[in-house]
Parts: sequence; structure tokens; C-alpha cells
Amino acid sequence: VNWLVDPNAANSRAMQASFRRATIDTDLTSLWTHGSPDLTLVLSPAHLHSTHSIAALEHNSHVLCEKPMATTVADCDQMLAAARRMDRVLAVGMIRRYFPAFASLAHLVHSGELGKIQSFDYREGKQFDWDVTTPAAFQRRFHGGAGVLFDIGPHAIDLLGWLFGTSEVLFYADDALSGIESNVAMELQLDLSRGRVNLSWDSPLSNELRVFGSKAEAVLRLDCFDRLAVSTSSQFTERRTSVSFPADVERPCRVWISPTDYHQAMYCQLIQTVRAIRLHEAPAVDEELGRHCVSVMEKALSIARPLDTPWLSTTRQAAFRGLHWTSTH
Amino acid sequence: LDEHTLNDIAIIGAGGYVGSSLVESLVLDGDVSVRAVVRAYRHFARLCRFGSAVTIAVADAEDSVSLIPAIQGASVVINLTTGSPRGIIRSTQAIFEACVRANVRRLIHLSSAVVYGEVSSATVTDDTPPPTKHWMPYATAKAVSEVWLRERLGAAPLEITVLRPGIVWGVRSPHTVDIVKRLLNKTAFLVDRGQGIFNGIYIDNLLASIRACCDHPSGVDGFFNVADAEPVSWREFFAALAIDLDFELDSLPRVPGDRFPWSKNAAVDYVQSLPVANSLYHRFKHSIPPSLKSALRSQLAGPYEYHRFARSYAKKPQVDRETWHLQKVRHKLPTTKFARHFRFSAPVSFREGISKTVSWLSFLGLTKRLPHCVGQPQT
Repeated sequence: VNWLVDPNAANSRAMQASFRRATIDTDLTSLWTHGSPDLTLVLSPAHLHSTHSIAALEHNSHVLCEKPMATTVADCDQMLAAARRMDRVLAVGMIRRYFPAFASLAHLVHSGELGKIQSFDYREGKQFDWDVTTPAAFQRRFHGGAGVLFDIGPHAIDLLGWLFGTSEVLFYADDALSGIESNVAMELQLDLSRGRVNLSWDSPLSNELRVFGSKAEAVLRLDCFDRLAVSTSSQFTERRTSVSFPADVERPCRVWISPTDYHQAMYCQLIQTVRAIRLHEAPAVDEELGRHCVSVMEKALSIARPLDTPWLSTTRQAAFRGLHWTSTH
Repeated sequence: LDEHTLNDIAIIGAGGYVGSSLVESLVLDGDVSVRAVVRAYRHFARLCRFGSAVTIAVADAEDSVSLIPAIQGASVVINLTTGSPRGIIRSTQAIFEACVRANVRRLIHLSSAVVYGEVSSATVTDDTPPPTKHWMPYATAKAVSEVWLRERLGAAPLEITVLRPGIVWGVRSPHTVDIVKRLLNKTAFLVDRGQGIFNGIYIDNLLASIRACCDHPSGVDGFFNVADAEPVSWREFFAALAIDLDFELDSLPRVPGDRFPWSKNAAVDYVQSLPVANSLYHRFKHSIPPSLKSALRSQLAGPYEYHRFARSYAKKPQVDRETWHLQKVRHKLPTTKFARHFRFSAPVSFREGISKTVSWLSFLGLTKRLPHCVGQPQT
């Protein structure tokens, strides 16, 4: 790691403890005057992903962009065009692709072990506890990019797309008034299945994906790396999963890792991006998959309606609907 | 709007359960200016949906200097903070001092019915001084804070109203979710056949009580118990949830009330409640790596329940000391003083509260009936 760029130098200095040779800069544009890095990791806030990624691509750098790829499909298209024009790799960071339990569930679904997939139920939420140092993630932007939809949504949509194919949004509701949402309910139609997605920044949801097949039901714990349960009769059997990913840039690969924590999963994601650059393999999530994820969220916002809140009094329900952002836009 | 109404309200501890619910109710009712004061940016997550309807400020509730700019100009300050026992006392003092220096007219301080423990006597009134020694550090801190405020009542240049709610239950209540999860996992239990008093207040009734304090023209100094109108036993509370949560009340394990049944979890609880351990826990809880926290939690929680509704009841449930004591409450605290003084009657009945709670639990996916949706999984 040669460069760490952040408008707040203190953030870069904290990271410099791990990357002692790295130079710190507070301005991205000055980075390019020193040459082009082979690979740029874009970890900035979501609404800046496209600007920063396009700048890197146009300076001949490959890019691994954190999820979501951008906040609009139009921005994704500009990123795609830049990657193709410059013939650079544009990969999207979806860390959960490297969780063994998630990969095992994909295998279960695709191998037909669960039978014909009938439906799914995805619920992820808890009180937000990420110790953020600025309120940037909570400010409303016209084109989205903040809120629980753009925070947890990409994980859900990418996983469901991985399991069941491309998604179409049938229904989307949230609880934002003039701010950004902290609760979301969605229904998705996918190639293989149809089901619901609930996301929350304030309520303790089950943090599970349940997949209902004609032969069996599978339960994936979204906070667990290596456990998956399958029920073929009335009893669930928990399986410890192990799925190995390349951990070097050799062909054939000699070192493999079955990640057991975030650091290992992140390492595998980085290695796969480098393999995409050097060995022309596909990254786990390429620019097309990244774009699809953003298109689902964009469609969701275009059909948004107020969340159903029958627990509020009738008067407050009416006030909520009247103040909901879809009523005031 | 009544001319006496104090309509610029600052809520300290607005990122918590009661705080965010209060903000929501005030915004939807729409006739007051709302300032939310939180300890850290992460608490914006619960409040950001209100956008420009709420002003959010970050301040340290234990530091009056930090609080003054956040509450300057407010007519009412509501203290909904929680935290370590020492922090509860420090924030009570700092918020009071900040209110005095910022010329705030009224301070509404949320204490807790837990200061009276098991309410072993029927003669406890709103003005009975609570004991300041309790096995639970939280209860001790709340009682000490009450004593500190009582010494300033009447002499301070601001009005002080202290409310004592019992268990705040209902929509978004962590306590309710905890009970419901235990009922679903069939690890819940009843002490003494559930005859103890469920000393609760439905969240909307608490919010209405707070609002009544804001709207009252004057003379609000004092200590007031607030609760639901109906006396409800623990058995009745569980029974009201039984149909939607698919459990048989009579199959719940019974725990004797005469002697606390120690277990691994109870021992951990006990160690955590020791003042030194409690203080260390609150000091370092944010620096414990999430993976270690999660590993410890899952070790204590036991095997994961993959069924949405567990099939069999725990033969020997893990009994925690707090729940055991709460289920041993003998008397409902009187609320006539509050009702008389503020001409208040709780707007939500117990049955209505249960119905609203079940609709929210259904949204969370915790009931037998899931809300209607296309492609809904079979339950």
C-alpha cells in the first residue's frame, strides 16, 4: 500500500500504523501527479464512488470499489464505460461472497438439494452500532446513497441474486419522512424464487435468510461465517461449512483459505481482484453485477411508499403518510 | 396550541428506545419544536428518518458545559439518558446544572419504578423515599439520583418533574423483544405461577405521560409513578401473547419464588452487577472486539434455535436475577397522584397495547402470522 487518501488526515494516520511505507494525502487529485497505482481501493462514502472510481480508471488504475458500486444506474454506466475504455478491471467489494456458509448455500440451491425453490425470507437488522466519526451516512441525498437500503441492501440483493438470479422489485416501503430510512420492507421476484426482504437500523430482526424448497428448508445465519442448517423433515441439522478460496496469485493456485473471519474474507476478495488483473479471472462481483444491484435499489426507490405502521394510532398513521418523503417530493 | 404549553423540547438520550419513540410521536403530532441530543453519531441512525423535522446535537450528558449549547433556548428538557450506574448519577447532576445555566423552565427526569424493588408493601406512595441500597446497581443509581433531585426540588430556579415508569413495554421495546424471544425459544419461565404484578407501562402511555408534563401550565414539581391503568399479572401478560406466539402457557416451566435458582448465566449476571465489574464493563464495552463479544454471547446463549418456533420447552430454564425479581413484584404502584395532578388517564388499554405490539412483532417476523405479502413463505 503506497498511498492513503482521506480528507481527514487523522484517519489516514491511524491506518498508516499498518502500512508504514504509505504516503498520506488529503486530496485525491494530487495522487495522480505521482503516477498511477496498479490498483485503487475506493472506500469513500457511496455518493463519491463513481467520481473516485472513474478518476482512478482514467489514470490507468484498476479499481476495487466498495459496495454499493454507485448510487444511480447512470453513475454505474459511466463507471462501466470508463473501465471498458481504459481496459481496466472494475470489481465491486461484496465481502460476503467469501463467507463459507454463504457459498455453501449457493451450492445447495444450485445443486438442487433443496428441490424446487418456492420462496425466501431475508431479515437483517439491529440497533445501528457502527462507531462512525461523522454524520455523513445519515444525510439525505437526492439520488440515495444513504440509509439502511444502501447500507445493508447491497448485501441482501447481491446474495439473493447470487442464489436465485436477477431481481425485479415488486414492492418497496420505508419509514423516512424528510430524512433517510431506518426500516425497509421489500418484495423481490427473482429468476428462481420470490420473497421478502426486511432491513432495519433500529429493530432486532432475526438476521437470517430462510430458503424454502420443495425438498428442504435452509437457514443461513447472516452473522455467521461457517454455519448453515438444513431441515429435510421436521428437524434442522446444523452443518459446519468450509469453502476454500485462492490465497495467492499463482496459476494453478497453491494456497487456499476457507475464511473464518472478516480479515481473511477481505484478503481473499483482494486476492481475487489481483487474480482478475493478472490472470484475467473474473472477480466475484464484476461491474455488471454491481450495476444490477444499484438498478434494483433505484427501482425500489422509484416505487417507494410509506411503510405500513398499524401499531401507530390512526391519527399518527395519517400524519406519517402525509409527511413521508414520497408525499412531499 | 394552549398558550401555557412549553413547545421547544430538548430530549437528552434521544437515540434510545424511549427517546426515539418520543421524537417520533412529537414529530407526528407536529406542534412542537424538537431537539434531539445524543451521545455519538451512531445514534443518528434511529433519528435520521425525521430529517429537518428534528434538530440533532451531539453532547456528553455527563458534562454540563457540553450540554448547554444543545439545550439553550429550550423550554423543556427531558432526561432519558441511561448508561453505567455512575454515569446515571453524573448525568442527572450535569443535566440539572446545564438546565439552570441555560435558563430552561422545566426538567422532566425519567427515574424508574425499579427503585422500589419488589414493592413488598401496599403502602408505598409516590412520595415514599426509595431505598438507596439495592442488589441491582442500576436501581441504586436511579434512587441516588432521585435523592439528589429531591434535595433541589422547590429551591431550584426550574421546575422538576420526576416520573417513575415500570417496565416500558410494547412497540420497539428491547424488554418486550427479549421476553418474546424467550417465549418463542420456549426458554421463558414463570415465577410463583406468574402471580407477581407485571408493573408495566405501554410505550404510548409513557409518551402521553411525558407530553402531559410538557403541556401542564405550572406547578409540576414532584415525584410521580406512571403506569398502565389495569393491574396485570405476569401470567396475564404472557397469556395475552400466547396465541400469536404459539406457546402453551401451562407448559411454561415454573420457578419457585422463595429462593433464587443459580445457573451459569445467573452467575455471569451477578458478577456483572458487582459495582467494580459493572463499572469496568461499561468502561470497556465499546473496546471489546465484536468477534469476542459474539463468541461469549453465543457461548452463554447455548445452541442456536433454527426453528422459528421451538418445539419443546426448556426443562431447566436459565433464570436471570432481574427477571426473577421483576416477576416477584407484589403490588402495583399507585398512579392516582399523577392522574389527579395532570388530569391524566392512560390512552391505550392493555388489550390495545398487546394488539399494537403483536402487529409490530409481526413486522419483525416474530409471530405465527406474517404480514401479507406476495410470495410469502408458508409458516
